Amino acid sequence: MGSIEGILTGFQVAFSLEGILFVMIGVFVGTFIGMLPGLGPISAIAVMIPITFGMDPTPALVMMAGVYYGAIFGGSTSSILLNAPGVSGAVATAFDGYPMAQQGKAGKALAIAAICSFIGGTVSVVLLMLLAPLLSSVAISFGPPAYFALMLMGLTAISSLSEGSTIKALISAVAGFIIVTIGIDAQTGTQRFTFGNVNLLEGLDFLVIALGLFALAEVCTLIIKRKDLSQDTHKLGSMRLSKKDFNEMKGPVTRQSFLGFILGVLPGAGATIASFIAYITEKKISKNPEEFGKGSVKGLAAPETANNAATSGAFVPLLSLGIPGSGTTAVMLGAFLVLGVQPGPLLMTDRPEIFWGIIASMYIGNVFLLVLNLPLIPYFAKILKIPRPLLISLVIMFSIIGVYAISFNTFDLYMLLLFGVVGFLMRIFSFPAPPFILAFILGGMMEQAFRQSLTISNGNLMVFVNDPIAISLLIVALLSFIFPLIRVLRKRKG
Amino acid sequence: MLKTLNQRISVILVLIAAGYLILAFQLPSYPYAPVDADLIPMVLGFLLIILAVCLYFSKDSETEEQKARRDIPKKDIGALLAVFTFILLYIMLLEILGFVIITCVFIFFCSWFLGYKKHITNLIVSIVFPLFMYIMFTEFLRISLPQGIMPF
Repeated sequence: MGSIEGILTGFQVAFSLEGILFVMIGVFVGTFIGMLPGLGPISAIAVMIPITFGMDPTPALVMMAGVYYGAIFGGSTSSILLNAPGVSGAVATAFDGYPMAQQGKAGKALAIAAICSFIGGTVSVVLLMLLAPLLSSVAISFGPPAYFALMLMGLTAISSLSEGSTIKALISAVAGFIIVTIGIDAQTGTQRFTFGNVNLLEGLDFLVIALGLFALAEVCTLIIKRKDLSQDTHKLGSMRLSKKDFNEMKGPVTRQSFLGFILGVLPGAGATIASFIAYITEKKISKNPEEFGKGSVKGLAAPETANNAATSGAFVPLLSLGIPGSGTTAVMLGAFLVLGVQPGPLLMTDRPEIFWGIIASMYIGNVFLLVLNLPLIPYFAKILKIPRPLLISLVIMFSIIGVYAISFNTFDLYMLLLFGVVGFLMRIFSFPAPPFILAFILGGMMEQAFRQSLTISNGNLMVFVNDPIAISLLIVALLSFIFPLIRVLRKRKG
Repeated sequence: MLKTLNQRISVILVLIAAGYLILAFQLPSYPYAPVDADLIPMVLGFLLIILAVCLYFSKDSETEEQKARRDIPKKDIGALLAVFTFILLYIMLLEILGFVIITCVFIFFCSWFLGYKKHITNLIVSIVFPLFMYIMFTEFLRISLPQGIMPF
């Protein structure tokens, strides 16, 4: 099937009644969960996965994609109104969004955020449409060595780009990989680290990890902060934008739509880094950088455009290579796999309705974000006042249902609790969780690709050196692994 | 020797890695594969040890904000432990009492315990949400949740 035909199929899916309905549900729920203080896109996707069980994969995935970019969008609301970003991708939004709200211009700030998200999202979907099929056609010739190298590079990239210590991020990644070795080995049938427990034969389900490490760990943080809610939300004020505002937005929105997209495509970067880089570059090239941080329109427009652009960008490697580049897309990959869909270079030709359906639905999703959310913002702002004790209890309930509905046994629930504790400990000792979940999702595939490569070459490690793609990616991965180690040793000497 | 936090964490990680490696070395071997099931675990175990050693020698590069996260008042630690006990009880009783009943009880008491004072709202939420979820899962999604002692 040609690309044009595929695109048409995609729009057919997206504009069907079912398509529109599920995009709407996804975007709405995503925005809602993204707004809740403390809950980010990873929790939003993980909590929604059980709802998709038994659904037809196409509308289900269209909905999940909506949840994802809806949550990114929703995060900006709590950033602007409360200075309490629910998502790390919306931290930079608070730099200028919150001062605006303090000046009584919260409505304007929210409107700018909505419009910039819309433009950033839409421009990047066009780019996604161009780039994803291209990458798919290249990736189809990748052998197991190249795949292994690619995944390894993704892991080291996310580790070296995580906040805080790179060594801690790498430890996190190795720990995630260690957890995934539990269970029956696919190639030899050997039971590994199961301690004779039947429940561990198939390994741990990724929802146990995702909900434990993110949702339950967030619950712990919420419990500690449950009394901090007394901050007042500011008056919304008018949502009307002046011509001057639009003129100021023009520059950052155009630039950051592209830059954000590119950063989203790169492994490890994603919405958070894209939004920070957007903020910094706009501040650098601005004629009056002193306005930044005091309620500058540009300072709000830049990160809001970039984080949504990066969200679509992140779909490029996910859809065309089947390899997630961030913690959030790793959970998204989990959502695909739960529904029996394997993203990758073959998805475009084998399941064009899913590949193009998701992409085409993003146009509608972005329109929904704008027209649905703009008038609803004043009402949404009330969600932020949901009492924390109730929120905590409900999030726990959703996590329990999510895990129980896939495994139907309580063993996994105890594991969920355990990983909640692990996630909380990781949080307080500043070990980033995204590398853990990415390694957990990629670990199995990496091991398989590695062993397939060696099976092909009959145990000769040269198979990785002889493949030009593999060796270049491995060098990049190795460098991003070694540099932080050298830095540590240097500091030690200095 | 164990002055900084990083050093203490590092020692714990080395112990975990060592335990994991011991288990990895005990994995039975399978003669017909060029790469056996124990290779990757061994690599991972040694990698963890190397990284833990690096952590041992690395300076604390945490921001004030990250350090502040560890300052948890004793009262809140108590609250955390209590909520985890609630969850533990919730899981243990889930299949015995059934989803709806235990969830109602859990939401009501957990919210109450965490300081929610509007008991009527609390009661309504704790009855409506579990019922709604139960009906949605069992009727619409066709995924059965534990029925327990409930008649339907």
